[in-house]
Amino acid sequence: MSIKYLFTLLLAGSFTPPLIANAQTTPPAVASAEHKTEIMTAKVNGMVCDFCAQAVIKVFSKEEGVEDVAVDLDAQAIIVTMQQGHSLDDERIKKLVRKSGYALVEINRVVSQL
Amino acid sequence: MCLWALPAAARPVSYPGGWTIIQNNNANFSSANLHYSFTAKDALGFYGEQNWATDSRFYGAQYTRLLKRWNGPGSQANIYLNLGAGVAENFDQTDTDLAGFVGLTADWETRRWFVSYSARADDLSFDQNFRQNARLGFAPYVGGFGDLHTWFMIQLDNIPENETAVTATPLIRFFKDVHLFELGYTPARDRFLANYTRRF
Repeated sequence: MSIKYLFTLLLAGSFTPPLIANAQTTPPAVASAEHKTEIMTAKVNGMVCDFCAQAVIKVFSKEEGVEDVAVDLDAQAIIVTMQQGHSLDDERIKKLVRKSGYALVEINRVVSQL
Repeated sequence: MCLWALPAAARPVSYPGGWTIIQNNNANFSSANLHYSFTAKDALGFYGEQNWATDSRFYGAQYTRLLKRWNGPGSQANIYLNLGAGVAENFDQTDTDLAGFVGLTADWETRRWFVSYSARADDLSFDQNFRQNARLGFAPYVGGFGDLHTWFMIQLDNIPENETAVTATPLIRFFKDVHLFELGYTPARDRFLANYTRRF
């Protein structure tokens, strides 16, 4: 009984790490847009208070495909998480920032494959 | 002599589709203001003011236009135009007439400092007047989004027609989420100040 148990542990130890490593580093042969989640960080000027931040959250939250909006006042940044398969182009982000009352400085994007 | 002072509104224009309630009580008046922002630069709403010094009241519409905004790294500056039109009357209702006002507000703000200046001219038909005020504020600490923000401010009011033309009101501002509350005291008038703003 104890030998079987030891054997099972050894097997698990042998196969599990490579499987995890493979899942983290090797993308599928064909990346499907439906399985991508995009996170955009828009750095802005003029966002100095909670009223400013709430304006940004309200405006971006109404946009189709937006999963979550967060604001970092220290970094003067808006962090927008999109639903899978959705994206906002730079021009749209610029327009939404302006609609909120502020000025866009730059946009950074991170796309994660789920 | 009219002692109407200026409503001290933080960000009177909101985001498109946003509403703002501003309620002010100070040495001179109590006022209520409900605004709807139909663009990021324009807000329209109801403005009512009960003035204890002149025994008069005003009811009407107020339009606020953000004339200019400067968005800087860590700072923001604005110039607003305020236009009001409605009806003013004495408390004894012997004088009731069309009334209006025009005002300008300029402010500059960082997360640490706040400076503002406002001027307004009223035409109440039975009384015309002008007043101005300025504010200087300092935040003892810088909080993040959603934290309780605290400001120490001093407000100077100048009402040329008033017996005490210049008054100073030290006040403290608490600001959290959509709520902004101010509490102050005007020694020259022995009156308290209590303002509340909510955005939704």
